[in-house]
Amino acid sequence: MIFSPLIRRRRTSSRMLNSSSLKQEFLKKWIMGLQRCTSSNKNMSILERKKAIKLSADLAMASARNGRTSWSRAVIANASRESDKRILAERILQGPESEILLKKVSAMSVRMRSKKIVKRSCRSVRRSVPQKSLAANSIAKRLVQKRTHVLKSLVPGGEFMDEICLIEETLDYIAYLRAQVDVMRCIATAPELIIKRNSE
Amino acid sequence: MDPHPGIVSGSNSNRSEPDESGFEFLQFREEIQRLMTVPPENASSFTALLELPATKAMELLHSPHSDNGSPAPISGDPLRRIDEDSKPYLPSVNGHLTFPSNKVLTERAAKLSVFSAGEHSPETSSVPSNSSANLEKVKSEPAETDSNPDSSQPLVSDPTVENKTQRPTKRKEREKKGKGSSKKSKNESSQDALMLPYVHVRARRGQATDSHSLAERARREKINARMKLLQELVPGCSKISGTALVLDEIINHVQSLQRQVEFLSMRLAAVNPRIDFNLDSLFATESGSLVDSNFPGMVSPLVWSEIPFEGNRQHYQQQWHFDAIHQPLWGREEDNHTFITPENSLLSYDSANSAALHSNQVKMEL
Repeated sequence: MIFSPLIRRRRTSSRMLNSSSLKQEFLKKWIMGLQRCTSSNKNMSILERKKAIKLSADLAMASARNGRTSWSRAVIANASRESDKRILAERILQGPESEILLKKVSAMSVRMRSKKIVKRSCRSVRRSVPQKSLAANSIAKRLVQKRTHVLKSLVPGGEFMDEICLIEETLDYIAYLRAQVDVMRCIATAPELIIKRNSE
Repeated sequence: MDPHPGIVSGSNSNRSEPDESGFEFLQFREEIQRLMTVPPENASSFTALLELPATKAMELLHSPHSDNGSPAPISGDPLRRIDEDSKPYLPSVNGHLTFPSNKVLTERAAKLSVFSAGEHSPETSSVPSNSSANLEKVKSEPAETDSNPDSSQPLVSDPTVENKTQRPTKRKEREKKGKGSSKKSKNESSQDALMLPYVHVRARRGQATDSHSLAERARREKINARMKLLQELVPGCSKISGTALVLDEIINHVQSLQRQVEFLSMRLAAVNPRIDFNLDSLFATESGSLVDSNFPGMVSPLVWSEIPFEGNRQHYQQQWHFDAIHQPLWGREEDNHTFITPENSLLSYDSANSAALHSNQVKMEL
């Protein structure tokens, strides 16, 4: 019993957020992904470009996690499910670890499908339970449940997790989003700085 | 890593204690039984003694203790110490009682974990919940609890040390109501972000001890611990109390971050005629300084911070009807700054060029 906490701690510590190294990883993978996906299609409209940018950013971040967190797996699974994105995704994710990742993702998608079925059947049963609407506790509980539901819809792959995992995934996802926003902002505002510096 | 020594020493103390515990346990049992015969009001259980008001109980305790050995300072000091230390946590009056006025007795109690009494169990259950709640301080707590069974504050450290020791089932003879025998796992210390702690569960006095409610409580405390982490991560959340509001803030934060990503990617797509064009030229002109340098180093010389961003986003959002997708709560935006003119000029150039076309396209897409 003494060893299990040590093992568990090592697993969670591997997810420790070192933000600058995270950003560098992300940037590298993102640039590689962008180059790969635009090598073929030269004349994309602006929306396609935006999609490609966003997609490659998402995938870069997800692969930076190496499938350790479930939202990253869900992102990749979503990307590979839609046909037009799948080509891009496969191209972006080429590399040594991509096969392992894709295998994990496919395994996870099977699990998610079975969980979906279970959830649907559970939901049909739950509706029949009468709800007590008077106790303050139950009102608070319902508020929390509503918000948890919203959060589940926000975090990718969050619908099939219990609350504890959901909160952990949210933590990770928020860190990832922040890193992504910072990096993109840097790149987006860099040209103005260059212009400024050159004009001085 | 830091948590390891604490846990290792805890396990060591676990192993060393059973050796002496058998011998001292017998001695202590006698003393306890002596104590149990003291209270006149009620039957022969400690719970009766617990329900007495503090002063009366102290009198009762001190009379058998007076011949017991080293004269401990039978003063309000232990009481006061307990009150100060555990004041935020103690749910009831029972917590003000302290049995071990005798110092020897207290130390033995520390080692034997006999005093899983009612007034201690609120402390114990609140101490783990406290330690799981204050994750920054948790690092010091396991070190404390593991390393001083005979600290200067035996009364407070007793329950925390008890947490780490095994609890043999023969303790049940003492008839403590609500004494759970389920110890989930060790408490972990935590670094900043993702050292998610295990949660001790111990049944408090008066609560059910069946496995379901204990499991419920463990789960709830786990969730609370992680919510605390989230609160620290999301800015402006630490002052809010109540799960629903905190969740609200978190949802807003995630939504705003997602919207920022959308917007930034659109902006990047708009600024660059080709996707990688800007990056290439960028890296060429800067000669790789952007990539190589640390991001914090890059961020600080940059002028933007978060200033122009929100204002422009509002402008764009109205144009592109992002409201259709998300449910923006504009009142909750945390950034509220003024514009920067070069930023503005560039963006207005973009928007002027592509406004009509984009709004149509985006409307269709959305």
